[in-house]
Amino acid sequence: MAGEDGFKKLPSELQLQLATTAHVKYIQSLDARKDDYDYWLTEHLRLNGLYWGLTSLHLLGHPQALPRAETIDFVLSCQHDSGGFGAAPGHDAHMLSTVSAVQILALVDAFDELETRGKKGGKAQVGKYIAALQNRQTGTFAGDEWGEEDTRFLYGAFNALSLLGLLDLVDVDKAVDHVVACANFDGGYGVSPGAESHAGQIMTCVATLAIAGRKDLIDADRLGRWLSERQIAGGGLNGRPEKREDVCYSWWVLSSLAMVGKTHWIDKDQLAGFILSCQDPEKGGISDRPGDMVDVWHTVFGLAGLSLLEFPGLQPVDEVYCLPKSTIERVLGK
Amino acid sequence: MPPKGKAAPKPKGTENIKPSTSSSNSTSSPAAQQPTTSTSPSGNTPTAPSTIGERSQQRFHESRPFDAARQKLGLSGLSQAEQTGWVSSQLAARSSTSTGSSRRTTPRLGPKAQRELWRHVNDASLPIRTLKNKKSAPTPADVWGTDRAGQKIAGYSIARYEERAAKRTALTALQVTSRAFREARERAKRGLVVTRDHREQPIVLVESAKDVQEEKQRRRQMAALRRELYGEMTGEFRQDPEWDGVEPIPQVEPEAALATISYPEEYAEAISYLRAVMLQKEYSPRCLRLTDHIISMNAAHYTVWLYRAANVFALQLPIPDEIDWLNGVALANLKNYQIWHHRHLLVDNYYPTLASGPPSTLSRFADSEREFLSAILAHDTKNYHVWSYRSYLVSKLGLFDAAEIAAMAALIGDDVRNNSAWSHRFFVVFSDPRQSTPGTAATDADPAVPREVVDREAQYAMDKIYLAPQNQSAWNYLRGVLVKGGRGMRSVEGFVSEFVRGLGEGEEREDVLSTHALDLLAEICKEKGERERADLCLRRLGEKWDRIRVGYWEWRRRCLDDGQ
Repeated sequence: MAGEDGFKKLPSELQLQLATTAHVKYIQSLDARKDDYDYWLTEHLRLNGLYWGLTSLHLLGHPQALPRAETIDFVLSCQHDSGGFGAAPGHDAHMLSTVSAVQILALVDAFDELETRGKKGGKAQVGKYIAALQNRQTGTFAGDEWGEEDTRFLYGAFNALSLLGLLDLVDVDKAVDHVVACANFDGGYGVSPGAESHAGQIMTCVATLAIAGRKDLIDADRLGRWLSERQIAGGGLNGRPEKREDVCYSWWVLSSLAMVGKTHWIDKDQLAGFILSCQDPEKGGISDRPGDMVDVWHTVFGLAGLSLLEFPGLQPVDEVYCLPKSTIERVLGK
Repeated sequence: MPPKGKAAPKPKGTENIKPSTSSSNSTSSPAAQQPTTSTSPSGNTPTAPSTIGERSQQRFHESRPFDAARQKLGLSGLSQAEQTGWVSSQLAARSSTSTGSSRRTTPRLGPKAQRELWRHVNDASLPIRTLKNKKSAPTPADVWGTDRAGQKIAGYSIARYEERAAKRTALTALQVTSRAFREARERAKRGLVVTRDHREQPIVLVESAKDVQEEKQRRRQMAALRRELYGEMTGEFRQDPEWDGVEPIPQVEPEAALATISYPEEYAEAISYLRAVMLQKEYSPRCLRLTDHIISMNAAHYTVWLYRAANVFALQLPIPDEIDWLNGVALANLKNYQIWHHRHLLVDNYYPTLASGPPSTLSRFADSEREFLSAILAHDTKNYHVWSYRSYLVSKLGLFDAAEIAAMAALIGDDVRNNSAWSHRFFVVFSDPRQSTPGTAATDADPAVPREVVDREAQYAMDKIYLAPQNQSAWNYLRGVLVKGGRGMRSVEGFVSEFVRGLGEGEEREDVLSTHALDLLAEICKEKGERERADLCLRRLGEKWDRIRVGYWEWRRRCLDDGQ
């Protein structure tokens, strides 16, 4: 595998260290990469990217590395009158970018700014936008007015609304029923009833139930077993049987295990070693497999995974929200 | 004061006043000048200019024949003839070009003086206009500027410059005709009235396809000339008469944006046109083509897909045609998920037509969809979005049939570890409305499923397990089938035992062909109340056969004691 060659190139002492400074520099450099074609090809992820980058910095213990005022300005510039946020200024509002916006504002403690400088209606307007995307027949959520439905949007809605304290705007019971209907014969959950179990979808379903306070509906043993099977030789985790390992599953699988209290069902040391071997210790950032190109998506989920493994040098992360525990404590007063 | 009478014309070449290149150590002293001879401004034959810069320089000085000498020697340093020559040319220049405000500074000569002046000017062939320098061009050569490569045009040879001038003329000519084309359209739009014989008539735009072709050609030529002459790039859309009348909306970034976006020009231009037409909610063939164009550059652009769908539906295009187009895009963009959501929308839209027509239409459509799904899955057998679409299709069109199961069997035949195919098979078999209870959870037993089906599926799983005993998918499938059929795990004890030999009989003799078998055996033993054997299975898994999950196996051992 190509990944293994990259792994061997690293001096062994670097393999087991967290390259904090390099990661911080990498994230700070992301905005300046305007000559990368990839940069404009991924403009529909711009606000999400900011959430991934900022969360990474918070977990690394460098929350000030991106300027707070400009962050807030940028987030607010993506907002529409409907209350929803687009992925970048001028982009239509969408659930995913709205959720990222709420998470970013939570990180930098800027809900007040949302009330005073956001679109008319402040937090309530954002809540209204999200709530309107629920399909009241099935309980699930669409991403926008075009109607694509996915459990990711359901989780996003619950995540954002609970942070805003507005979960009562939606039909929680119906949503919970929908999640339960997505449970599969192998113990996992899919994107919709009958669809293949997938670690990403599992995380969204389980976290939704956690936020709704209905973890009792999860067959934790069967799910835990399916999740533990994601670990392959070498320590990495995959997302479905017989697929390749990928650092981002360090988050989707591990946070799901954490939510049902079964993280000891995988080999934590091997997983930590795998994540660390996916770092670029010179230029910073984390990739999906050792030796591949880094990106901010894999960076945040690799770091979040290491945080869940209690790796030294990282702030504790909340497994339900993928935000620092300190942020959740501040916002939800837990 | 102008000299009286007509002086003998001075032969050229003898009087040495060279305006442009008078060297600083010119030896001509006032005394050496002949007071009675008129000075010829073009006192000598200048060398032919090799560049237009040189030519400009020469012309500049030719129009100011006494300036160089005057600046060097001062007015009093000039000869009588030179002085009068200078004064005359000043007067002539001012009076011939005086307009408006400069009239105040122009001296007013009486008619007699004027006649004298002009006679002198004529005799001495004085220039009556002087070239001036512009602030932006401090020397005469500077006025030509630079070409697209940054080279000074002043350095061009005369011939090369003529070529350039010809191109500029060509460009102007094209622009004139192009403007006429555009104005004709504008007039028709405004509905301007022609009153040739005082009757009001609306203007009818008479424009043939040939006219549009010619205009396109013209614009291409204009774009090429602009690029060549000035290095200006003309966007594709500006060159296309089809897009006249749409004013593109460029991206406006907030100042000092934290995450600014910059684009390659062609893409930026296309997106700016997209914004314009989306704002106006235009649905037309040209918009459809625009979405195709953008998708070809960036198939991940989320909004353009939605707008395309809106166009397809508004224009009521035949859905099969759109699907044909989509197939091409899907094959070129295997990792893209918007493509599959688009297909989802198309089928949603098409379904009423299918459902209300003869059954053969629907089955033909189902077949063509299946065919394409096979083709695309051949490239990426586990693409989650494709499979997600497939589940949707099966539900929507009611394809819980033998053909679908056969398709799954084919895929599993190719790769027995294709978890997506296994998962889909489970869905097709156990969610078939003809032989299942609607609303039953996947994890619950369902008495509505016929016994033969449960037998068949269990056997299928077992057959495949023989091919690859460590394949998770097949073992998960087997368990799922047994649960659905309401059967205990021990109904397959014999089968499971085939994969575990010599358990607990030492390293030499113990042979486990499948950890999943050992796992299931532990469960069976527990079901039967054989605690010791169950514990042995789990211990061996944690110690040797599946060490990475030792945390799990230990927990299972503890559960044996809890009687869970």
